[in-house]
Amino acid sequence: MKRADFILITLLCTSLLPACVQYENKRGVDVAWQTTVTQQLVKGTSTRQDVLALLGPPSQLIALDDETVLYYLFEHSEGEGLILILYNRMRIDTRYDRAIFFFDENDVLTEYSTHIDESQSS
Amino acid sequence: MNPKAANRLRYASLLAALWLLTACSQWRYDLGMPLPKSGIPEVEQHAGLSEALIALGPPQRISATRDGYVLAWEHWHIKENTLGLSLGLMGADLFSIDWGQMHAKGEFLLLTFNRQHQLTASARSEWDNHGGGQAVQPFLGLISVVDVGDLTGKMTQHRWGGSLLKPLPRALNNDSSPETGQNGVEQRGTPTAIGQRSLEMH
Repeated sequence: MKRADFILITLLCTSLLPACVQYENKRGVDVAWQTTVTQQLVKGTSTRQDVLALLGPPSQLIALDDETVLYYLFEHSEGEGLILILYNRMRIDTRYDRAIFFFDENDVLTEYSTHIDESQSS
Repeated sequence: MNPKAANRLRYASLLAALWLLTACSQWRYDLGMPLPKSGIPEVEQHAGLSEALIALGPPQRISATRDGYVLAWEHWHIKENTLGLSLGLMGADLFSIDWGQMHAKGEFLLLTFNRQHQLTASARSEWDNHGGGQAVQPFLGLISVVDVGDLTGKMTQHRWGGSLLKPLPRALNNDSSPETGQNGVEQRGTPTAIGQRSLEMH
């Protein structure tokens, strides 16, 4: 086989090679609001300091007069794809693990809620 | 033409045809989890913040308002299909034919609470929108016929700590920005030319 034929066939085969792609992207604070952690918190008793000590700095802090809200967010995307020359396909699923804590004017916990997506838990 | 030369020409033509195609691409995005169909607190039930958090979990968006809080939950499913021909892979960005289609399906639930954490209003919307375009660009490939970038971006909470470090028109608009958690919430894909972001001059 001549060199020119070899190059052409190699390029042709390379063009047709399929590729499998896996994609993962993580953003936000570490998920530390598992049930084993948050069961230490008691509405009406625990303070903002207790939450900050357990979970660290939040993603967002919201204030309404003397009330404060700490919001924690961990964004996790996972994707799978098939990259061919003539057909490419990519699917990306994004899930949001989050926790929210409300405190009154005395910095005492009044409400909270947490969510961890089990299908993509890291 | 001798057989070897004919074969070579055949291979080269096939290769050129493959490179001519920028291919068919399909992208699928699933953002968040579907919202429950029932069990959503209603104003008539005199529901409070506790009941909403138990039923729906933490919201994806939250903001303080003048008289309480606004909380929002959302789920998006976006499909993007594109098909194109171009000379780009052959080193010439001179000619392209593109076709694209987008399908965005989603739901959004908004609940507002007063300072006593009592539910004062609720609204739920669902949508199923289609869009797309075609283009023949003979000289330069200047536009993308489908763009879902404004629907698939990261959550605004990740930018909260740096809200005053943005470029000047946006930083000056911080007191009106829906990203601060103090000025309301906005849905993905909200136009920036009007409303609270208009002074940011995107």
